[in-house]
Amino acid sequence: MLTIPLSISAQTIVSTKHNLSVTGPGTIKATTEQEICIFCHAPHNGRPDQPLWNRLDPGLTYTLYTSSTTQATLGQPDGASILCLSCHDGTIALGSVISRGAPITMAGGVTTMPTGVSNLTKDISNDHPISFLYDAALAAADGQLVNPASLTGPVKLWNGKLQCTSCHDPHKNNFSAFLVATTQSSNLCLTCHTPTNWAGGSHRNSTATWNGVAPDPWFHTAYTTVAQNGCENCHNPHSAGGKLRLMDFQPEENNCLDCHNGNVAGKNIQAQFAKTYKHNVYGYTGIHDPVENSLVATNHVECVDCHNAHQTNNTAAVAPNVNGFMIGLKGINQAGNPVNPALYEYEICYRCHTNTPGMSPPATPRVIVQGNVRLEFATTNPSFHPVVGPRNNTEITGNLIAPNTASTVLYCTACHASDGTGSPKGPHGSIYPRILKQQYITTDNTTETAAAYALCYSCHNRNNIINNINTFPEHRLHIVDEKAPCNVCHDAHGIGSPGTLTNNSNLINFRTGIVTPSGGIIQFTDTGVRHGSCRLTCHGFNHNPETY
Amino acid sequence: MKITKLLTALTSLLLLANVGLGQTIVGSSHDFSTQSWNTTGEICICCHTPHNANISVPDAPLWNHQLTIATFQLYTSPTFNGASTITQPSGSSKLCLSCHDGTVALENFSQTTNGTHYISGVNNLGNDLRNDHPISFVYDAALAAADPGLWNPTTHPSGIGSGTITNTMLFNNKMECASCHDVHNSTGIAHLLLKTNAASALCLTCHNK
Repeated sequence: MLTIPLSISAQTIVSTKHNLSVTGPGTIKATTEQEICIFCHAPHNGRPDQPLWNRLDPGLTYTLYTSSTTQATLGQPDGASILCLSCHDGTIALGSVISRGAPITMAGGVTTMPTGVSNLTKDISNDHPISFLYDAALAAADGQLVNPASLTGPVKLWNGKLQCTSCHDPHKNNFSAFLVATTQSSNLCLTCHTPTNWAGGSHRNSTATWNGVAPDPWFHTAYTTVAQNGCENCHNPHSAGGKLRLMDFQPEENNCLDCHNGNVAGKNIQAQFAKTYKHNVYGYTGIHDPVENSLVATNHVECVDCHNAHQTNNTAAVAPNVNGFMIGLKGINQAGNPVNPALYEYEICYRCHTNTPGMSPPATPRVIVQGNVRLEFATTNPSFHPVVGPRNNTEITGNLIAPNTASTVLYCTACHASDGTGSPKGPHGSIYPRILKQQYITTDNTTETAAAYALCYSCHNRNNIINNINTFPEHRLHIVDEKAPCNVCHDAHGIGSPGTLTNNSNLINFRTGIVTPSGGIIQFTDTGVRHGSCRLTCHGFNHNPETY
Repeated sequence: MKITKLLTALTSLLLLANVGLGQTIVGSSHDFSTQSWNTTGEICICCHTPHNANISVPDAPLWNHQLTIATFQLYTSPTFNGASTITQPSGSSKLCLSCHDGTVALENFSQTTNGTHYISGVNNLGNDLRNDHPISFVYDAALAAADPGLWNPTTHPSGIGSGTITNTMLFNNKMECASCHDVHNSTGIAHLLLKTNAASALCLTCHNK
């Protein structure tokens, strides 16, 4: 019971950089001082207020960590952390100890801590917070922290507070950086932090390695796989470039794209963002906030708006259910109410594409003006593409290309996604407007080809459409002969209020400007399966009305 | 004068002769024979007397110095597992503090109680011992088990002879001033240390750091 494991005794302060005496192994050491402990502790005549401390309190006001997701009450450093900072803030000479009349002389003229990763400076806002009370109430408020009562291992609290010494043991360097446990696979971090669904996440489990092409995504660790780096794929506990939530970088997307650039992850997402039409994650910095409302109030997009880096994995799903890439995200449901987590992919899109301020108006001017994508897809609408639920009639079923059927439900990303064979899934970037997966020309007088309307033809049988088989019997006249694009008559998302089943079935919502009134009226009337009439003027032809 | 010079010369010879054979209190910082406040010219007399000693003082062989009656502020720390056994300075430590707390005059020995010379500077620990290494607490195997930063004193060698910490440095399993210091200067090491503290060897005898 009293045997001390050899693994502990193998490493002592004598062989670490914290041996600042003349016998120390590091580059920073004394010229003649033989004692080791003396740099921090004195058996007599040290500070009266702290246990045998031999260094002065820097007495500084530090710039503290702050974040919208921190529930802890953060104050100025106290407890043992002060002793650490008396060297590591770079303000007091390393050899300046209380018990000696004169400072201990350091080799090479070193006085205070040289600039570098060991010098945290007075700005500790980019370092993991310290000196805060970590109690059960904090754990409960955060929801992703263990109850501190369970901290019976190497990570310890001091007077209930997390201090530098919770993660670091200045006397032993059994792991790197004097840590009390290994950071491999974030073992140390996960002692306290319990990110929801982390265990099943790709960033926890992926064995992907870096191909060696700069920049080094793991510049602050020695680990070689995603799983080994764990939290440190994105977070840096000290001197974090992003400060907030200790991200590696302040521009949010940089924390993702240093791996998702073809150098670690299998797909090159960064390349998609070089395209003209994209969810422009580069365009915003410091706007996204993890605690923002489900309904986005200030227009922006970041990777983390659509992906939860703690939870994301490659689990497949059936539309409209969210797949693994998009689990653990907020959403707006079809009724317009916040949901967390979103269950259906479109709910995540609706966070912005419902009526977020600053969103672009609809690209196509139409008879019934719509600006809220959520309402366009309602299954109570006269017609809609089947994103929220299956279509409401079987009229076009005969023209659908397998495996599409009357009961098919589509993801938004069936149409809106990166172009190109082998491109990563999802609407990252495309050469086509509105981030469409394939070409969808909307210019009037376009010569009909398979390529011109490739997006539509990926589901709708081109041969049938341009030969009037099982479809609107004048399709060929309009598309091939008159060179009208699909977009002129059809409103692809769907038609909500004030559309009607009589006038707006089959996604009919005419494009104004090209389609003009006849006798003051632009109107389609559905009179049965593949029968109807149109009153309008187009390409100089007055339909007053034309019936079929 | 001649006698004094002769004594000094003899003392020097004695010191030289003793090099390599163990040091003595003679000539050490605890040799008060030449101090102005010590009119006896003796060394041992400041603490001990062969006769008429104060037998009411525990752990005090032939004690001859007035004892401190001070109450001390004790060492405390959230990382100190000896807090449950630490007491007011006891055993021989109280004898040390009868000079080193600065409340009892140096010359208050052999019935003298009206001395006017007091210890000063870094040697005066005062009655506030919070900035001094804790003493008068039990350092046993249980304490070492509770604090992995300590060696098990019952098995770990002290480096003093072939003994363990317990049997060469502790007193009734307690750490006292004399665990680190030999008041009689048997080692000749500065600060009357029991063993050298180069590379913090003395500290690391007990502290597993």
